[in-house]
Amino acid sequence: MSVRRRIVIGAVVILIAGIAAAAFAMKNLWRGKTGGPVQAVSAPEEVVARGRYLAEAADCAACHTAPGGAPFAGGLAMPSGFGTIYATNITPDPDEGIGRWSAEDFWRALHDGVRRDGQQLYPAMPYTSYRGMTRVDADAIYAYVMRLRPMNVANRRTELNFPFNIRLGMLGWNLLFLHDSLPAVSTGSSSAWQRGRYLVNVLGHCGECHTPRGIAGEMELSQSLTGFALGRVAAPDITPAGLASRGWTAAGLRAYLGRGLARQGSAFSDMHPVIMLSTRNLTAEDLGAVATYLLGDAPRPPAPLPDIGPAESAAAAGGTGRMSYVALCAGCHGLDGDGVPNTVVAMRGNSTLRLTDPRNLIVAMLDGIGSENFPHRASMQAMPGFRDKLTDAQVAELANYMRETWGGQKPDVTPAAVRALR
Amino acid sequence: MTIPTRPLTVTINGERYGPVDVPEGMMMIDVLHEMLDLTGSRLGCGIGICHACVVIWDRDDRTSEEVQTCITGAGFFDGKRIRTIEGIARRSDQGEVLALSPVQQAFLDRFSFQCGYCTPGFVNAATVLIERLKRTPVPRGQVEATVAAALDKHICRCTGYVRYYQAVRDVIVATPGLTRDAA
Repeated sequence: MSVRRRIVIGAVVILIAGIAAAAFAMKNLWRGKTGGPVQAVSAPEEVVARGRYLAEAADCAACHTAPGGAPFAGGLAMPSGFGTIYATNITPDPDEGIGRWSAEDFWRALHDGVRRDGQQLYPAMPYTSYRGMTRVDADAIYAYVMRLRPMNVANRRTELNFPFNIRLGMLGWNLLFLHDSLPAVSTGSSSAWQRGRYLVNVLGHCGECHTPRGIAGEMELSQSLTGFALGRVAAPDITPAGLASRGWTAAGLRAYLGRGLARQGSAFSDMHPVIMLSTRNLTAEDLGAVATYLLGDAPRPPAPLPDIGPAESAAAAGGTGRMSYVALCAGCHGLDGDGVPNTVVAMRGNSTLRLTDPRNLIVAMLDGIGSENFPHRASMQAMPGFRDKLTDAQVAELANYMRETWGGQKPDVTPAAVRALR
Repeated sequence: MTIPTRPLTVTINGERYGPVDVPEGMMMIDVLHEMLDLTGSRLGCGIGICHACVVIWDRDDRTSEEVQTCITGAGFFDGKRIRTIEGIARRSDQGEVLALSPVQQAFLDRFSFQCGYCTPGFVNAATVLIERLKRTPVPRGQVEATVAAALDKHICRCTGYVRYYQAVRDVIVATPGLTRDAA
């Protein structure tokens, strides 16, 4: 085939693809609606109650509520490498919210990532996960949100950089990256496992934070739930292998997701609101299902903490890492890392110390962790940050001491790694 | 069982202590109370929250900051200079108090505290704040916010906050050089 002929064929293919995309876009936009009647939804109480439970499991409130703002009235800023996206008002306000949306409009947003006016949503709205939701569940959530108090809170304009501010571009993105279902991360077939897969992959949209993202911002599904740093604190690996390597068991996961506190540590950073707004509300059965799916029908045994040899422990005991620990950490976390029940988390066997990547431990040391309330009136006081009291080298030594002694990790944290996180 | 010890040398209120052997894991407040007979710093919560136990750490760069002694091991202070509540007032060579500091006097004049348990912490916090303002004055309109931010972590259970804050604000406004006109 001549070069000329190839160019012609290529041009024709591109033209056809362009026409197809434009036609699809026009079709969407023609279907798009503005104005129209305010919807009056009458659903049985049990459907509304179920919708509420599902909305909690799907954690809609976490993003659709601004700090200090009215629930579901939108406004939370979500910064990304492409610009800032603001969550929208999903109360049934006719003008600022979704008061004119039909159940079909709502379904299209969750399933296809298309707004009522026909414009594309950005995948900050996790329709990439919600696509797996059943129509019955979407309709129940719709019945619940349409029952909320309408809040006349204006939406903030999306602030994306060119060319990402062209919403039509999402058509191509969806062609490449929108899948009907997300891969399973564990093996199983029990009904609990099936239910857990739905709760984790669809409603809980766990992969949106825990799955690494590619250069177009898409989830790298071949590495599902292996952990990713979308923000300052990384979402850790929650595959069966990752969880077992850090000592997680089904009982530990149930305690963590239900109460925010487990022997393996307490929820902090972005996971804390997930517990408070979403997973704490799951039934015991659903919590068990989540644990079953994350660990698989036949969970591997949690990795025991390796005993470190006497020579290493003696070296660690006399080292500057240990001295920093005694000076700055032991007052609350205890000389032996046992913490204080219901007050201070233990370091021995703490999941964050057992991560291969020291990032979260270093960030906690530098920034501290704010005080947090947990279900059932439990609370954890604030941990101070030590960025002013410790040099890069001291933080590295301290991290190495803790990771080696209580995390079973190699003492390979360098001062440069600490400096990079300051 | 023997508890390992570590030598501690620390300068407190201008006076050098040590080296003394301190059991590993002993918090600084216990060293102050039990070994050095400096009992003015208060043990409150024991988990670093109430700030009744703070001392002033004078850093080599001439800045100073508060450190909670209930959660900070003695080893942290080895080779460092600190001030405790006992070192705030001016004293004679015999150790008698000659004059309270302006902050201490203001707290008394304005009835800032009731039971007084949190007062050493508040005195140290306000002292650190005023020394900071001597180096970097704040615009006059920001004094109240600055006081609130500086004392925010200190807990008082006798509802004393308002008079504490007012006293510190009054000292700042009355002391030349701590405030400036807004830029």
